[in-house]
Amino acid sequence: MGGFFSSLFSNLFGTREMRILILGLDGAGKTTILYRLQVGEVVTTIPTIGFNVETITCKNLKFQVWDLGGQTSIRPYWRCYYSNTDAIIYVVDSSDRDRMGISKSELVAMLEEEELKKAILVVFANKQDMEQAMTPTEVANALGLPALKDRKWQIFKTSATKGIGLEEAMEWLVDSLKSRQ
Amino acid sequence: MFAKLKKKIAEEAATAPRSNVRIPRTISKESITSMGADSGDDFASDGSSSRDDLPAQLLRRNDQIRRLEAKLSDYAEQLRLMQKTKDKLELALEKHQDSSIKKLQEQNESHQVNRTRMAEAMSAALEKKDQEWMEKMAAVEQEKSALSAQVEEMMDQSLALFQKRDDLDELEGFQQQELSKVKHMLLRKEEQLQQKEAELRSAQRNLSEVQGNLQALRGHHEESCSLNAELEIEREELLLLKEESDRKVRGLEGRCAELQEVVQKVSEDLQKSQRTVAALEASLQGLQSEHDSLRLQQQKAAVVEEEKERLLLELQRKAASLERRLEGNLSQDEHLQEFLQEKSNLEENLEGSRAELLALRTDHADAVGALEAQVSRLNGTIAELQTLLRHKDDSSKAYRTRTDAQICDLEQQLLDAKDALKQQTADNQQHTDKLLQEWRAERTHLEEQSQEKVAELQQNISALQTEGGRLQERVACLEEQKMEAEALMRQQRQELQQCRDELDNERAEKKKVSDVLEELAQRREELQVQVDELSTSLQTARGQEAAAGEELRRREETIRTLHSEAQHWQEETERQRALQEQTVLDKDSQLAGVQAELDSCQARISYLEVEVETLTEQLQSPDVCEDAENGSVTVDDLDHIQKVNRDLEQQLGDKNRTIKQLQQRLAELRRTLQKELKLKSDQDPEGRERYSESRADKQERVCPDLAPASSPPPSTIMVTNSVDLNDTREINFEYLKHVVLKFMSSRDAEAFQLIRAVSVLLHFTREEEDMLKQTLEYKMSWFGSRPSPKGIIRPSVSGAFTHWS
Repeated sequence: MGGFFSSLFSNLFGTREMRILILGLDGAGKTTILYRLQVGEVVTTIPTIGFNVETITCKNLKFQVWDLGGQTSIRPYWRCYYSNTDAIIYVVDSSDRDRMGISKSELVAMLEEEELKKAILVVFANKQDMEQAMTPTEVANALGLPALKDRKWQIFKTSATKGIGLEEAMEWLVDSLKSRQ
Repeated sequence: MFAKLKKKIAEEAATAPRSNVRIPRTISKESITSMGADSGDDFASDGSSSRDDLPAQLLRRNDQIRRLEAKLSDYAEQLRLMQKTKDKLELALEKHQDSSIKKLQEQNESHQVNRTRMAEAMSAALEKKDQEWMEKMAAVEQEKSALSAQVEEMMDQSLALFQKRDDLDELEGFQQQELSKVKHMLLRKEEQLQQKEAELRSAQRNLSEVQGNLQALRGHHEESCSLNAELEIEREELLLLKEESDRKVRGLEGRCAELQEVVQKVSEDLQKSQRTVAALEASLQGLQSEHDSLRLQQQKAAVVEEEKERLLLELQRKAASLERRLEGNLSQDEHLQEFLQEKSNLEENLEGSRAELLALRTDHADAVGALEAQVSRLNGTIAELQTLLRHKDDSSKAYRTRTDAQICDLEQQLLDAKDALKQQTADNQQHTDKLLQEWRAERTHLEEQSQEKVAELQQNISALQTEGGRLQERVACLEEQKMEAEALMRQQRQELQQCRDELDNERAEKKKVSDVLEELAQRREELQVQVDELSTSLQTARGQEAAAGEELRRREETIRTLHSEAQHWQEETERQRALQEQTVLDKDSQLAGVQAELDSCQARISYLEVEVETLTEQLQSPDVCEDAENGSVTVDDLDHIQKVNRDLEQQLGDKNRTIKQLQQRLAELRRTLQKELKLKSDQDPEGRERYSESRADKQERVCPDLAPASSPPPSTIMVTNSVDLNDTREINFEYLKHVVLKFMSSRDAEAFQLIRAVSVLLHFTREEEDMLKQTLEYKMSWFGSRPSPKGIIRPSVSGAFTHWS
């Protein structure tokens, strides 16, 4: 009852926060992206054992962004956070060609989850400033994105340290979320 | 037996031809004739060349013939041997038959003899036992009769005893009746006594009532005394009132004095005002003197004016003189003009001074007018003051008269009050006197009444005393009666004692009787003991008898068992006999078989001979065959093959086992390899993931699938190494710490999302998780009630969320 009322009120005042998960292998740059989005600065990060959660406002839309640690041993805990997720930002280290396969399998396993069936997928082909970085198309092919069905997705080439492509990606995400509503 | 023979034959056969001849295994007996065509394995190599050189073939045939001849000789020997063995066997069979028949007969005879002997012995023993038991039984019956006689005697004695006991009971009944009569009489007497005592008590109660009346009268007297005391108190109060009025009078006199003081003060005020009036008059005189001085000044000013006018006149004279001078010194006209000018100037001056003077005069007049106005004003004020003074004087006079009147009034009032007080006191005293008189009258009246009452009461008391005396008399009478009753009682007690004595006597008698009875009982007990002994002996006898019976039964049983055994034996013997017959038959059949075999062998031999002949015949026609088909040989070969087969199977099993072991070892090795690989990867994740990407990939994929929904920590599955375990535990612990910290510190909305993670990390059950969810919902919502710890499962928020999207 209380939950219903609270939901009703939040609907009335339009204050519901969009829930976004930032996922990806360890060292892909998730935490850097989160804080780049929030404060617009490059922060020095340490490997996230656990998660970071921040509220970001973008184009009149409030996001509750969860950056989950991507280390192998704590990757299985991702699934604990899947419920009620509106969008997933999947961050890939474009320069790490060797682990692209792991990244793909993680992504595929994640997208098979029932709780994420309605979530929008945004892939960040991160670290584009590196010399040996793969192009977004290569990354998309390596992740098997073209094969995805029943899923709204988009890939963006980004560089969290240089601040390239993040705003573009967020704009697309905001637009798609608004259109979905 | 047949097999042995075959073996022997085979051995013999094997010794001779085995060395150089290989017997074809596939040849059947019927196809011997056709054997020549496909000659066998030996010739397969040079089958092509056989057509080319016949002489070589011929040679070979010759060899074969030689071999066949040798075989034939062997067969002949074998035949001979077989016949020998057959003879031996026949002999042995006959012997065996004879011996077995003999044995059987002997056994049968011995058994029957044994049986007859056993039966005789048993019957003899049974008869003996029967006789013994019969004797014993007779003795026991005699004893029994004696005992029954004794028992009858005892019964008579006990009857006599019962009669005596009945008499005793009757006596006791009579005694009790008498005793109850006496008791009844005693009870009646006691009731009478109680009645008398009750009467006495009622009289005493009357007396106490009268005394109560007296006390009430005394209470009345006390009340009147208290009334008197109250009246006196009233008098005292009145006296106090008088004192208070005196005090009031004194107060009023005080007030009169105060008023006089006020009057004096007022007069003083008057004097003061008069003094002020005088001062004012003095000031007025001052002012008048001032006015006079001012007039003097005016006069002086008038004098000054006159002087100035004089001066002016002088100046005019001067001017005239000067005009004259001018007329004298200069031309007259000029002089005159000058003088005229001068004159006009002077006249102008004069006019100015006159104007000045006029102004001064007007000023002066103004000042004088003002002063006069002041004087007149002061005079007005003086007049007013005088009128005021007069008023004040009037008012003071009026006040004085008023106060005097008041004082007079008050004095009069005082006097009135004193009179009134005196009157009141007189009234009061009169009242008190009256009251006292009344009281006294009442008192006297009451005293009279009380005296009367006392007299009445005394009369009553005397009457009561007389009554009491009467009652005492009655009591005395009653006591006498009581005494009498007691005497009676004593008599009755004596009677009772007598009765008791009698009773004692009777009891003594009874005791005697009981003694006798006891003796009888003792005797009876003794008898009973005897009877018991006899019965025990009887029982023992019976037990012996039973034991004997049992023994008999056992014997019979043994006999029966023996019978059954005998029957069994007979059966067995029959069976043995049957068996023997069967064996005999078997042997006969075997013999027949052997004979048949022999016949067949002979037939075969003959056949072989025929064959040999045919072969020898065939030898001429160089068609070759090998007659090496032999049943024994094939059997041997089969055995050999089977043996080989078994060996091979064993080897196969061993090999299978070794293969399994090897596979196990391989699996173990693989596992260890994987572990090591993982270890490496965890220590150096990048290197590992580059190193064995696909493998790690698979593992990672497998782990979440293996652990669905509730408990996914895969580290436990992946890791067995202790160091690694610690590492992952540490990571897990750190993760848990971080999540719990956030859960506790974050906003409710975020905390709600974290419930799942916390419950997974802490291995919560579904109910616990739901409970947590409900409590958070309750916290987040504005309404709603606190959820019960284990309530109904509410629709989860995920369901509520769906209608947003």
